[in-house]
Amino acid sequence: MHIHAYEKFWLAASILLILLLIGSVTYGAVGPGVAMVADSEPPIDAQGLDEDERFSEPRVEQVGENHYAAYVVAYQFGFEPSPIVVPENSRVTFYITSRDVIHGFEVAGTNANTMVVPGEVSEITVETDGPEEYGLICNEYCGAGHHVMEGKVHVVSQEEFEERNSGGDDA
Amino acid sequence: MGQNQAAHASTDDVSGDEEFDPIGTLTLIGIYFVILLLAWVYIYYIEFLGRDLVVVG
Repeated sequence: MHIHAYEKFWLAASILLILLLIGSVTYGAVGPGVAMVADSEPPIDAQGLDEDERFSEPRVEQVGENHYAAYVVAYQFGFEPSPIVVPENSRVTFYITSRDVIHGFEVAGTNANTMVVPGEVSEITVETDGPEEYGLICNEYCGAGHHVMEGKVHVVSQEEFEERNSGGDDA
Repeated sequence: MGQNQAAHASTDDVSGDEEFDPIGTLTLIGIYFVILLLAWVYIYYIEFLGRDLVVVG
């Protein structure tokens, strides 16, 4: 079979394009460590969050060297804690659950974005850079007040984080 | 016009499709290809990876 030279060129170019696309995604996973939201957390009782060790008191706490856990409860129509205060240049794992209906958890303008399903815990780990104030929105229609459901994520300096955490102990 | 050329080549000259030389199409596809590559580099490496709070786990 005779194939025109241009035809061969187009074939090669399209194969190259596919390899580049797959290669980029592989690079993203291996290099910067981009990951998907996984189904790693066991289900919990959405009606019993008050007795849950992690979610009865939504908070941010240190769980390792430069590693923080933020326990967040989404509800109609807001997020707790509000604002969510995390330190700069650290690794933060958000554990988010809902006490009523399905919500969204999207830190506006960033890649931190997951669904929040009652009875399930969504776990996402992100790396923070410098101090910044992010908006936090619900991106799943959750009822009449969906459009006003918002929160804040404040990335603050280490000193400010410690000050806030030690100052108002159970605030 | 391209079809005519192709038909002409196949009837007149069995092995002669090398004469069919759609350089305009080649250039156009080349330009599309470059646009695709630049768009992908921009979308993935700059817009997506360059955003804050990249999800790592």
